[in-house]
Amino acid sequence: MPEEKIDQPDKKAALHNARRNFLKQSSFLTALAIAPPSLIKAADKNLDEKFSKYFEQQSLKLEINGVSHELSVEPRVTLLDLLREQLHFTGTKKGCDYGQCGACTVHVDGKRVLSCLSLAIMQNGKKITTIEGLADGDKLHPMQEAFIKHDGFQCGYCTPGQIMSAVACVREGHADSDDNIREYMSGNICRCGAYPNIVDAIKEVKEKGGTI
Amino acid sequence: MGFFPNEIDRVDGRAKVTGTAQFSYEYDIPNLAYGVIVASTITKGTITSINTKSAERAPGVIAVISHLNMPKLKSYEPAADDDKQPAIHKGFKVFQNNVVHFNGQPIAIVVADTFERATYAASLVKAQYKIEEHHTDLHEAIKNQKPLEGNPDNIYTRGEADAWKNAPVKIEAEYEIPYEVHLPMEMHALTVKWDSDDKLTVYEKTQAMSGTQGSIARVFGIPPQNVHVITKFVGGAFGSAGSTWPHSIATVIAAKKIGRPLKVSLTRDQMFTMVGYRPKAIQKIGMGASKDGKLFGITHEADANTSNYGEFREGIVHSTRSFYACPNVTTRYKLYPLDLSLPTYMRGPGETTGMYALECAMDEMAHALKIDPLEFRLLNYAETDPERNLPYSSKFLKEAYQIGADTIGWKNRNPQIASMKEGEWQVGYGMGSGIFHSGRGAAKVGVKFSDDGSLILQSGVTDMGPGTTTSMTKLASETFGIPANKIKFEIGDSDLPPGPGQYGSQTTSALGSAVSDASVSWKKKLVDMAKQISFFHTEKIHEADLKDFLFENGHMILSEEPEKKLSYADVLKYAGVPKLELLEDSKSVTQDKYITFAYAVHFVKLLVHPVTGVVKLSKIVAVVDGGKIVSENTARSQVIGGVVSGIGMALTEEGVVDHRYGRWVNNNFADYHVPVQADVPHIEALFVNKPDPIVNPIGAKGIGEVTMVGFSSAVANAVFHATGKRIRELPITPDKLI
Amino acid sequence: MINFDYVKVSSSKSAIEAVNKDATAKFIAGGTNLVDLMKRGVEAPEKLVDITSLPLNKIEEDNGIIRIGALVPNSVVADDDLIIQKLPLLSLALKAGASPQLRNMATTGGNILQRTRCPYFYDTTMPCNKRQSGTGCGALHGYNRMHAIFGASESCIAVHPSDMCVALVALNAKVVISNKSGDRRTLLADFQRLPGATPHLENYLVKGELITSIEIPVNDALAKNSLYIKVRDRASYAFALVSVAAALDMDGHTIKDARLAMGGVAHKPWRLTSAENFLKGKSASEANFKQAATIAMKDAKGYGQNNFKLKMAPNTIVETLKTVSGLS
Repeated sequence: MPEEKIDQPDKKAALHNARRNFLKQSSFLTALAIAPPSLIKAADKNLDEKFSKYFEQQSLKLEINGVSHELSVEPRVTLLDLLREQLHFTGTKKGCDYGQCGACTVHVDGKRVLSCLSLAIMQNGKKITTIEGLADGDKLHPMQEAFIKHDGFQCGYCTPGQIMSAVACVREGHADSDDNIREYMSGNICRCGAYPNIVDAIKEVKEKGGTI
Repeated sequence: MGFFPNEIDRVDGRAKVTGTAQFSYEYDIPNLAYGVIVASTITKGTITSINTKSAERAPGVIAVISHLNMPKLKSYEPAADDDKQPAIHKGFKVFQNNVVHFNGQPIAIVVADTFERATYAASLVKAQYKIEEHHTDLHEAIKNQKPLEGNPDNIYTRGEADAWKNAPVKIEAEYEIPYEVHLPMEMHALTVKWDSDDKLTVYEKTQAMSGTQGSIARVFGIPPQNVHVITKFVGGAFGSAGSTWPHSIATVIAAKKIGRPLKVSLTRDQMFTMVGYRPKAIQKIGMGASKDGKLFGITHEADANTSNYGEFREGIVHSTRSFYACPNVTTRYKLYPLDLSLPTYMRGPGETTGMYALECAMDEMAHALKIDPLEFRLLNYAETDPERNLPYSSKFLKEAYQIGADTIGWKNRNPQIASMKEGEWQVGYGMGSGIFHSGRGAAKVGVKFSDDGSLILQSGVTDMGPGTTTSMTKLASETFGIPANKIKFEIGDSDLPPGPGQYGSQTTSALGSAVSDASVSWKKKLVDMAKQISFFHTEKIHEADLKDFLFENGHMILSEEPEKKLSYADVLKYAGVPKLELLEDSKSVTQDKYITFAYAVHFVKLLVHPVTGVVKLSKIVAVVDGGKIVSENTARSQVIGGVVSGIGMALTEEGVVDHRYGRWVNNNFADYHVPVQADVPHIEALFVNKPDPIVNPIGAKGIGEVTMVGFSSAVANAVFHATGKRIRELPITPDKLI
Repeated sequence: MINFDYVKVSSSKSAIEAVNKDATAKFIAGGTNLVDLMKRGVEAPEKLVDITSLPLNKIEEDNGIIRIGALVPNSVVADDDLIIQKLPLLSLALKAGASPQLRNMATTGGNILQRTRCPYFYDTTMPCNKRQSGTGCGALHGYNRMHAIFGASESCIAVHPSDMCVALVALNAKVVISNKSGDRRTLLADFQRLPGATPHLENYLVKGELITSIEIPVNDALAKNSLYIKVRDRASYAFALVSVAAALDMDGHTIKDARLAMGGVAHKPWRLTSAENFLKGKSASEANFKQAATIAMKDAKGYGQNNFKLKMAPNTIVETLKTVSGLS
């Protein structure tokens, strides 16, 4: 068995217990006692803020749509909120925040997942593809083209999730029949009811073949 | 290019498929704070205290605002006769006082510097209450409460009251629909920035820009034009964004108090209590007919809920007065205030509920008469409006029935109940009709034509999904004679000339009429210019007017000398005018000689598994008489969407309140079942597509609402045909069929 | 959601040590249930131990046993050739659950440990003995159409939401558990608990123990006739009203061995042992299947809104058996 290895991105393990204590006691004095002097100096102006940032956040490396990002997040931040609120990739949508609608679907290392139930910190080192990364510059991805052609949306809010899911559906090999498309696209709710047009769009992309 | 050769793709399609379409929670403003609404956990009573200390101490928290520290607002001061007003007329103003009207009521807003911190801090706010007894059960209310007084829709009688009882063939039945909730995919959200003490910008999810402007202005006592509303995209609404709700006002108040831009999104469970729902309705229909199938009398009674703090009425029984030629019609409508949030309009409001009952009753009667359900409807077809004795401006419902019946293969329907099978599955065919009133409302459109040949049209409307910008671009292309790719239709900004709210199926008619009128005004100006320039010079040019020119593909052509053809852009250049601009003020028109309705007919073929009770829709045909269809591509999608909403109403959707607590228990997408992809088969969406000559210059009637109306009855009737089981309580879930 | 400590570990040993250090610490892998519950305030661990780097992601066959690592995602199991060939029942059950995105995230171990979807459990303002002991069962006299008809108690009538576990219980799967002192194995059927007076205890995993894999004996004869039928309120992406997992070892028309389990009816997957015993040696006939269903339903009890399950469950048993035996 290997020795215990705590993959603590850029943070000293010792600080962890301190951080817990800090949180638990919510006491300023305790925090001062365990904080490094540089931090105390820096904290003069906005004490609480600097402290909690230092203690609460962990660093994280992600590749998003081919671009590397080095970030600092609270462990409770979901991939969805990281994308939308910190990085302004607002193409990925929040439709329920509970894993029940599919609007937040993105690809992580090539697999479609729900970003609302994915903690950002757990994606360290992974490759994320969002709707913003699907087109090749100005040239739309074939699935995006097909959604426009078949009018596979109305309000457009579930659309990025539908398209990310649709691309995965074809890649997984689950787009081989209308019934299979319907089943394998059932994790993406469309309240406007564009479902039949979405099936048509996916079918066309699948039938055209080629790598998507 | 999609299905229709002359159609244009959705003009905002690219923005929607690339994720660049910006919704109300997606504006990146410097120093933006996050708000989270805290909701009441009791149903009725008063807040005795709110502990906000731990929330205020939590990291990143900027403010916690409730009725305890609300800024003073003149509009919140009680009216002089406040004591005399019944609670139902007082309404509910967020953070006004400590009164709790319903479970899930906004009682505080927590503002912090990040979403996570605001959310966590909101969970720390704890209120204490003095609890009063509550009533949320409509069935109990009907038994124990008096209906609301002063309801003008209470009763209507044509001919003899309750005459159906005297007919040779009678049926009587009760139908119930549960609470249905709009649940657009985009949760209600807004971003607010106060630009000065009395001016602000609000990015809000709304169907009605000027409504939002006015509502916010009234709260703060500022002029409406000081409220700049921006709504570039709306992620669905279906009626939920027709009002300015308390959470929006709370956000505007909080943004002012903290002196910082602020955004708030509801959570999915808050979408059940804070932005309305379709009221529950219990309906009774008595129907009498002669043995040869002529309707003699219909009585349609509806009991529905409203809230204890507001009266919400809708025309549940109205369509029964006008749909069929029937000499004796009585309708009654009673409202019962419950300790629930205020219901609101939801797709096909009133008609969707009422026509479900009426069209099921028609099926029951057809069965009793042993007449084919379609034939029975044709036997009682109204050629003129039976309620007002006026002709229809147009009615192509018969054509719609014919198209629908042919397409579904209605002739294959064995009239014998529970007679058809495919393997183990029982097969049923059913139909239902829909109706929704049409008219022509007011709209203003700004026209900006440049000498580079491009046209910008502007109107302060929003587009929640039907494709208003697309249909209006296509219409403008046809009426102005300008290629669609040279036209930009700008919407979603209250600084633009005001347009109609997007509800009641009125946008296409009102805005389309304004576009059409604008094209005429614009062409007249163009003609005036043309008359001044030498290019078009003829002997009689000074007498020329609009009819002497053709306007095609960006060019005006002198009819009598077609070689005199000049691009619009060149007309401007020759005239030395860089821009041709005008504002079209298109007024609403009230018809007193005609009645206008849009119609839909729905045919379904479905399968019922007799052992597990599972229903599978196998074929759906929806035919709409919506006058001229302006944009078939988007209209077809709208019909499909209405049908999918109807599938939900018929088979899966049911909002449940646990009356012991007055609290919604299935307030999420896992437990409140909206249809998913696997529930929905191919849908044939068809149009009669004949213009209405009266309603407006474009001949179009709105279709957004009517596409849902009547669909659920087609399903219920098909289930009866398949199984012999008459399910009168929606939704028809598997447990009801075993 | 509260903020919490996060550590990522690379061995079972360090995982167990890390979780033992903190009273409220929990393992996290797929997170589809835990993150959801943390958002609702139902779960509030102060430390999460990320086990996704642990080497528990293989599907292997060894001596007539198929071993599925605890971290193998549900979608991988469902589409795995070996599983489709030798344990088709498991693949069918997995495909009937959740959505493709969730199945890509959810792990085998996490699926077993997922908690009930009872709305009273999820809403922290409502009574629920499972979430907060002594507050009562909100569902008992409330909204209970999704709830249990077998093995429930006055304390709790919630159901286990998994489809995968229904198949696994029918297939005699064992759970392999690591702790400080080594590994132990237990039948999944015995691992999960009925609510009794302690509905907060859902299984026999103790603090500091980690599920590392599932072991399922291969039975080619049963694999030939396997079927999972799930009845639900919509065609996909919904929890079961009732579901039935069936596998038959057939010799012509004679049933040599039968496996039957139900989902959506109890606090854990409900194995229908007496019905199985009845069917052994019998011929495949509608009468025998009806008799088996009657036997299976012997101790069933409805709680009002879920009374329909008393009919839907036996109907679905008969339907599944008829289809899997080729009778219809």
